[in-house]
Amino acid sequence: MTPSKRMWRLAFALSKQRMLSTRMLIMLPILLLFVPGMAWGFADPNIQLPAEQLPTNGTEVMFLASIGIVFAGTMAAVLIAHDGISRDRLSGVLEVRLSQPMPRWRQGVVLMLGHWSSIALPVAVLLVASMMLVGYRSGMWVPLSDAIIYIIAAMLILWWYTAFALLASSIAKEQGSAIAFSIGLWFLFTLLWVLFTTLLAALNGVAVGDTQDQGYLVFEGRLDLLSPNGVYHHILETRLDGVDRGVSALGAFFAAILWTLVPVYLFQRRLNRLVP
Amino acid sequence: MGDDDAMQFDSIGYRHQIPNPAWYNPFKKRKGAGITNVSFSIPEGSIIGLVGTNGAGKTTLLRAISGILPLEEGTVKRNGGVLDSDALRSLVGFMPEQVRWASLGTIRRTMTEFAHLRGCSVQSALDVLTVVGLKNRMDSSLDSLSQGMRQRLSLGVALLGTPRVLVLDEPFNGMDPVAIDAFKRLLRTLANKGISIIVSSHHLAELDHLIDTIALLHRGQLLAHGTTDSLRANLGFEHMTEIVLERQIEEEILDAMDVLEHTEFEGQHRYVIESGHHQLLEKLVANNHTISTWRVVPPTLIELLCAATGMNRETIGMNVEQSSIIPFRTVGGEEE
Repeated sequence: MTPSKRMWRLAFALSKQRMLSTRMLIMLPILLLFVPGMAWGFADPNIQLPAEQLPTNGTEVMFLASIGIVFAGTMAAVLIAHDGISRDRLSGVLEVRLSQPMPRWRQGVVLMLGHWSSIALPVAVLLVASMMLVGYRSGMWVPLSDAIIYIIAAMLILWWYTAFALLASSIAKEQGSAIAFSIGLWFLFTLLWVLFTTLLAALNGVAVGDTQDQGYLVFEGRLDLLSPNGVYHHILETRLDGVDRGVSALGAFFAAILWTLVPVYLFQRRLNRLVP
Repeated sequence: MGDDDAMQFDSIGYRHQIPNPAWYNPFKKRKGAGITNVSFSIPEGSIIGLVGTNGAGKTTLLRAISGILPLEEGTVKRNGGVLDSDALRSLVGFMPEQVRWASLGTIRRTMTEFAHLRGCSVQSALDVLTVVGLKNRMDSSLDSLSQGMRQRLSLGVALLGTPRVLVLDEPFNGMDPVAIDAFKRLLRTLANKGISIIVSSHHLAELDHLIDTIALLHRGQLLAHGTTDSLRANLGFEHMTEIVLERQIEEEILDAMDVLEHTEFEGQHRYVIESGHHQLLEKLVANNHTISTWRVVPPTLIELLCAATGMNRETIGMNVEQSSIIPFRTVGGEEE
């Protein structure tokens, strides 16, 4: 068996193990509520939204429902991967793993793929189900090209959060620190980022109170490139009409590539220097 | 270093990075304790006992020769060629001090996973379970394993891919005497099959009747390495004899020998003397002594350390306390 094939097998075994874990059973109802649940809610033809922004097509409904991925999907990725290394370090298994001939970078790829796929597969299935629900309930079917972009974007944001969680897990010497680091990062990008953006905008003299102010939208759009959630929404916005937040589609994809590679590079670098 | 050596370690060294925060860099680190300038070779099929006190550097040395820690100095050779880290890991099977194998997984799943990591077939991995006596527990949950069984599983994982050198860090910790005995016999069988074994312990007695040579490690340095007899000869060590009698030995007999220790407990007198007093037994019997114990006492670790370093027990004790902080020898001409 070739080293690559062994690597895939290990990733598959890890993914299966994580997918059937107790924590996944706990998170599945939450994901069901947040992903297809939200899509079902936003597909309601009589929905009342703030500022009377009613979705006019399936892609817009899925854009609104993407908040479920930002909240529940990313949280699930963090909870799945936060002890990917720290648990083995505590039990002494990490020492045994690092003494094996498989190079550390390959072991790192196994950890990334295994943890990511364990959450990405259920989320992808739920996203497809959500699109079906939207079409069924509102009669607005999501075009295939948009559906593909939306699924890829969701897979990417889950990849980023998996990388953060594993990086945290490799740095932390015990479980508490690992989960505090991961959840802290999730909290920053998911909840505190708006506050951070608003504060910075205010400091720069942008009209913060007016959410329709183009200056504020552009400022927020550009700052969002520094947040994984922001980049995720930029990718989704490339499929929406009439959205201009000062970031081109190319800029959003370039930021996505950076967010995909940089955390993985940092994780691999950390793994390479890891002392059990 | 001969051609029949499984591996040769030439002046290897590794120092741990320890936090040394400064106002301009809170994450600053400096080199701390570790191992330095360690050289020895291990012949095919032999068992080396690596002994040293807590903090002597045993685990660091074992991790370094298992390819877990990168070598900062020195080389590892086999058949004259220098081994890189990947080659080293493929030749060495490592068993850490204690692995708390625990999850919903089974022994079979663990062995399958490590077979992939090791690059050997799953069937050969499952066959190893016969060697370590876990074949019948193959489908048992890891959570249900006793400490002894966990140690056996760790050994099984270390044996995957038929390593040339087996590195065992304190393998007897947490094992009962029966399990230790079985474990020792298993190690001897493996050595007879040509596998070289390095086993660490801070109890010399644990390694009795198991090891071929002793490597004495202290403060990150290899103080001595050889057979028990050669070590005693090199360190000027004599055999000691322990005698326990019902009353005190007469002055005139005591004057003729070197008494290292005398204690009295519950009416019994215990003497530790240097061996070699051939007429002693005859004299004691002639004086109507009832001897309840007469045995040769092997040197303890602390006695070996005292002999190797020239320090006394108190100083050695102090050094053990400090050994994780201060290196024994100045490195690079500067005490750190």
